[in-house]
Amino acid sequence: MATAALRLTGVSVGYQGRPVVTGVDLELRPGQRLALVGPNGAGKSTLIKAVLGLADILTGAATVLDQEPARARSHTGYVPQTGNLDPDFPVSVRQVVMMGRYRQLGWWRPARATDRQAVATALDRVGLTDRARDRFGLLSGGQRQRALLARAIVARPRLLLLDEPFNGVDAVSQDAIVRVLRELSADGTAIVLSTHDLTVARDLADLVCLVNGRQWAVGTPGETLTAGPLRQTYAHAALDLADGRMVLVEP
Amino acid sequence: MILRAVVEVVLVGVLTGLIGVQVVVRRLSFFTMALTHATFPGVVAASIIGVNLLVGGVLTGAVVALGVAALTRRRGQDAAAATGVLVSGGFALGAALVATQSGFSRDLSSFLVGSILTVSRSDLAATVGVLAVVALVLAVCARPLLFAGFDPAGARAAGVRTGGWDVLLLLTIVLVVVTVVPAVGTILALSLIVAPAAAARLWSARLPVMTGLAVLFGVASGLAGLYVSAHWNVAAGASISLAATAVLTVSWTLRRLVRAVPA
Amino acid sequence: MIEPFAVPFMGRALTEIALLALICGPVSVFVFVRRLSFVSDALTHTVFPGVVIGFVAGGIEGLFAGALVAGLLTAVVLTVLTRAARLTDDAATAVVLTAMFSIGVVLVSRRTSYTSDLTAFLFGRLLTVTPRQIAETAVLAAVILVALAIGARAWLFRAFDPAGAAAAGLRVGWLDLWLNVLLALVVVAAVRAVGTILVVALLVVPAAAARMITARPAVMALAGTGLVLVAGYAGLLLSWTASLRYGVALTSASAVVLMLVLAYLLLLPVRRWRDRSFAGGLT
Repeated sequence: MATAALRLTGVSVGYQGRPVVTGVDLELRPGQRLALVGPNGAGKSTLIKAVLGLADILTGAATVLDQEPARARSHTGYVPQTGNLDPDFPVSVRQVVMMGRYRQLGWWRPARATDRQAVATALDRVGLTDRARDRFGLLSGGQRQRALLARAIVARPRLLLLDEPFNGVDAVSQDAIVRVLRELSADGTAIVLSTHDLTVARDLADLVCLVNGRQWAVGTPGETLTAGPLRQTYAHAALDLADGRMVLVEP
Repeated sequence: MILRAVVEVVLVGVLTGLIGVQVVVRRLSFFTMALTHATFPGVVAASIIGVNLLVGGVLTGAVVALGVAALTRRRGQDAAAATGVLVSGGFALGAALVATQSGFSRDLSSFLVGSILTVSRSDLAATVGVLAVVALVLAVCARPLLFAGFDPAGARAAGVRTGGWDVLLLLTIVLVVVTVVPAVGTILALSLIVAPAAAARLWSARLPVMTGLAVLFGVASGLAGLYVSAHWNVAAGASISLAATAVLTVSWTLRRLVRAVPA
Repeated sequence: MIEPFAVPFMGRALTEIALLALICGPVSVFVFVRRLSFVSDALTHTVFPGVVIGFVAGGIEGLFAGALVAGLLTAVVLTVLTRAARLTDDAATAVVLTAMFSIGVVLVSRRTSYTSDLTAFLFGRLLTVTPRQIAETAVLAAVILVALAIGARAWLFRAFDPAGAAAAGLRVGWLDLWLNVLLALVVVAAVRAVGTILVVALLVVPAAAARMITARPAVMALAGTGLVLVAGYAGLLLSWTASLRYGVALTSASAVVLMLVLAYLLLLPVRRWRDRSFAGGLT
């Protein structure tokens, strides 16, 4: 099976002609989980956005679900960071999740029972059924992240991209998100997530890509989350302790 | 004449209530204020040329709307500053145009603060037409506007052309601002658009309810302002604007006292 | 090109603009980095009722006091409202702006010379600025420049890194209030001579235009001051020519603003060119 959920060859991404990350070579198969690991400002978000068409692919070849990235949009899901969302916006959790159905609904068709059921199921999977009617802004950071995840999965994507989904997220929400991600990949959904939490990367990912301005390494957690590659990736942010251990400062 | 003023005020109240919800929820008050200053030279030019004011105002308003939309893709500081530049520039241009006509001062005032008592039949017809268009647009495009307004990045990733929808909304705001000029003028149009909707937001976080309240508050402010103006012989446009502000102030105070359910 | 300014009132007008250039070049940098364009615009509208009340209560002398009270009141109210939340800050600003302006319009509409007062308020009387007003502006310029010299570092720190500033012990709320108060002072000082339209332009355009050629605050301030001087000269010349040669009563305030905005538009391509040339690094 030569199908790849995501294939990037010699890719550099950025905005308006200016590259943010270069030299990306990786291949992700359906059902695999890829973690993009690197410090703040490394370009992980930009890379994810480029796959979604929100940033430019400046050089190299990229296929998403074996198609041009633009064509694959209807089967790609996105879970952005919640920080940019206005907490005062008058929208309920259920309405946010329903946004994930808009593509199927179109702009005018009223929501039917099947749509409402899909939304309810997604909410149930992330454990937010009892918060469905509340205003989105009243939720905690972790709950908001879960709501956005529900929004993404209600459309049954074949590739799911999450931008720092565990940032500032409480333990309960983190467990829920991890559980859902494992279920999704067991069902064949390919997953890409960015994180600077090495423990999460090690436990959750099948494939890790170290990124900081460029791709420094790609491989299994065992191959990549080791001293050598990490030191290269984190550069100044890595301190070597005398007893041979390494500390990453300011991830 | 008074009847026409009353009808216009009611129509304007509904119109500004409807669009006001979008302006408040998407934090477009500054932009709307810039628009009120931007439509000014167009309205003046149209008046000089002898063309319908709506046309002139919509043209310059649209130019500014598109300009700001294009500039907003840059960093926030540049967008805020650019809007400020357009505000002063637009106003100065309008004033310069006014200066080319002698004896225009009276009309200058009515552009800025409105003259609802001299509203004509064609103004009314225009308001009805615009109200129909705006109501239709907001109803039909509710979903994309909601998605793009709440989460532009997520919407774009899902294939929504946020740029296009934003432009549509901005142009709709331009249309409303220009339509409201005969009633309350360009500067005071801002208060009718923002205050009733801001008051409605204090009472509800559900868009349909918020919209209904905004319309109600808008119409009430219009009628109250008209009444005060007739009774105490003060400028009508300003009275309407103050009535809208009063509604907001009362709502704000009541809400701080009654902290029962978070909206 | 010089003779118009030999005429006393033109010379005075140019002097007033020069003083305002000194004030507004630096102040507009803060308006730019803190995105206070809306607040500045609001201040110009809210000063209106103060001006009216002051004039009605105390004649020409009362004008300044009335404007000052209104301006300071707005500065405080806006600072408080935007920290109390619930009302988004842009909606609050919009409402305060129009409410105060409406009060001014209502007050003014009870007098018969409604429209000329409105015009004077909006466009000022740059050509009738008296030596005494110039002196007052000069004093205010001195006060404001000293205040800027003292507060610049703190304000800039807060502007670029509010969390860091707070962590370093700076009281962000107070800093915001003081900056708003400073803005109110500038507005009040300038409104009398040049009207609200020009004041907003003087507070917003210089830094916005200067940003096209540099990103360093100090250089922005200098460039801004220079721009206002050039625009002031050109604008005055323009309105002089327009009224003498073509009989068009173009107010000098409008002409100066148009020159400023023109400078901004002409510099836009420079910014694009710079962004393209300096890929990465500090632009």
